[in-house]
Amino acid sequence: MNRDTIFQLNRGALLPTLLAALLFSNAGLLSAGESSVIERVKARKEPFADPLSSQLGPVLEKTVWAKEGYQGGAFRVLARKQAIARFPCSSCHGAKPVLVRQAFELTHGNVILNHGQGERALSCSDCHTPEKPQLLEDNRARKIDFDHSYQLCGQCHFRQKRDWLGGAHGKRVSRWAGERVVYSCASCHDPHSPRFEQRFPATYSVPLD
Amino acid sequence: MRLHKKDDPKHLIQEVLEKPSNRRSFLKGVSIAAAAGSAALTAGCIPDAEGTGLEEARLRWQEFFKKNYRLMSQEEKEQTVRRLERLASIQDQAQLQIGSEPPLEKVLFGYAFNISRCEGFMECVTACVKENNLDRKSNTQYIRIFEMEPGQLDPGTGDGQFYHKVPVDHKFYTGTQCFHCENAPCTKACPTRATWKEPDGIVVVDYDWCIGCRYCQAACPYYGRRFNWGQSEVPKEEVTPKQHYLGNRKRPKGKMEKCTFCIQRTRKGRLPACVEACPTGSRVFGNLLDPDSEIRYVLKHKKVFRMREELGTDPKFWYFID
Repeated sequence: MNRDTIFQLNRGALLPTLLAALLFSNAGLLSAGESSVIERVKARKEPFADPLSSQLGPVLEKTVWAKEGYQGGAFRVLARKQAIARFPCSSCHGAKPVLVRQAFELTHGNVILNHGQGERALSCSDCHTPEKPQLLEDNRARKIDFDHSYQLCGQCHFRQKRDWLGGAHGKRVSRWAGERVVYSCASCHDPHSPRFEQRFPATYSVPLD
Repeated sequence: MRLHKKDDPKHLIQEVLEKPSNRRSFLKGVSIAAAAGSAALTAGCIPDAEGTGLEEARLRWQEFFKKNYRLMSQEEKEQTVRRLERLASIQDQAQLQIGSEPPLEKVLFGYAFNISRCEGFMECVTACVKENNLDRKSNTQYIRIFEMEPGQLDPGTGDGQFYHKVPVDHKFYTGTQCFHCENAPCTKACPTRATWKEPDGIVVVDYDWCIGCRYCQAACPYYGRRFNWGQSEVPKEEVTPKQHYLGNRKRPKGKMEKCTFCIQRTRKGRLPACVEACPTGSRVFGNLLDPDSEIRYVLKHKKVFRMREELGTDPKFWYFID
């Protein structure tokens, strides 16, 4: 091989090398921008194969399958019935009729109804029905199980329900991994008085410096 | 009398010289010998039950000459946490389970905080203090909650020391902690490489390699790091026994510490203590690489912002509104 051919070879290889170098340096700059966490997150579309799901057992609390799905499919909610003091209702509400106006004076005297303000304030019959006290009833006379009260709450609080299904309202029970189990509406909100009471904070902070 | 070849001093020296050695293993050898010597001395003075003094001295020497956590093999990590467990049972009569769980594959932790839901009950703070065995004497807290005037967003303008009935009408509440930046300035400031970002996105500190210079604290634009001026004082019955080497284990005096997204919990699939304690559901935690996770839903459907995003720290902690 003489000097000329070497020169020829070099000249032939020079342009692609330069181009490649230019491209790669550009790619390097771009990837510096793309390595931001948002780009990484956006690029990730395939479902997450949770390695912990097999190790994590069920949560300790009693749960039921939700009747609606979220973006990841079916999920569970905390059951409600076992937390209701006098459930099942049929233990009192049998064949003998019970008058609604007596309810506040008698067994349900502990209920403080503070749900909705002014003319939008709710009364018992907005959610309960005397014919079937063991079930809830929405505006369209649809009967709803106490464990699935989110179906009832969602008829007015539809924005909150949408966020709750997706995960921006409420929260999961104890784990981020494994089967999705979330708190139900009534786990955190007293359905008769849903707003959180004003109270003192659990602690206080001291200045940092 | 002629010595046996094995006991021949010349042969012994030859053996030592031929054995591959470096500074660390030499020091280790010397240190174990010294520990045995000093322990033998103290054992003569203080009557000790079944040689636990010797064992403690040996464990402490081995701990002193261990590597940086990032350079350890999984086996060495196991060994050091076993040593720390044994030392805790000798020194404090505490039965601990210290873990060294590695990061999970395809997991990047992210956090979101709902400023329209938080009502300032501070239950996250007490849960964090309890879970992470924070010093009760100096009242160390990783989380700060601020009472904010409407129209303000920088927590520096808020009241961080409120103590009255909450929520107050026409105010809102916001919280800060370590934001686990992807481009974390604190890790670059550390002169001993004692702090770094794990592959699952958690910024951690190796408490045994931290020299307490506090450069990282100066580098952090979010006041996310805390320095301990003394050994943390925690009542014995309140110590959280489930610990992690990079998390809530007993920190020596004069080290930097911070929120670790409760690494001892989250690497096992549990939620951080603050998320579990929050009574209003303002705190969302999850895997950013899982398209179906709650945190991804928040990022996709809510108005989100990050604090001081213009600094380019790329924090994995978003604020959002309903």
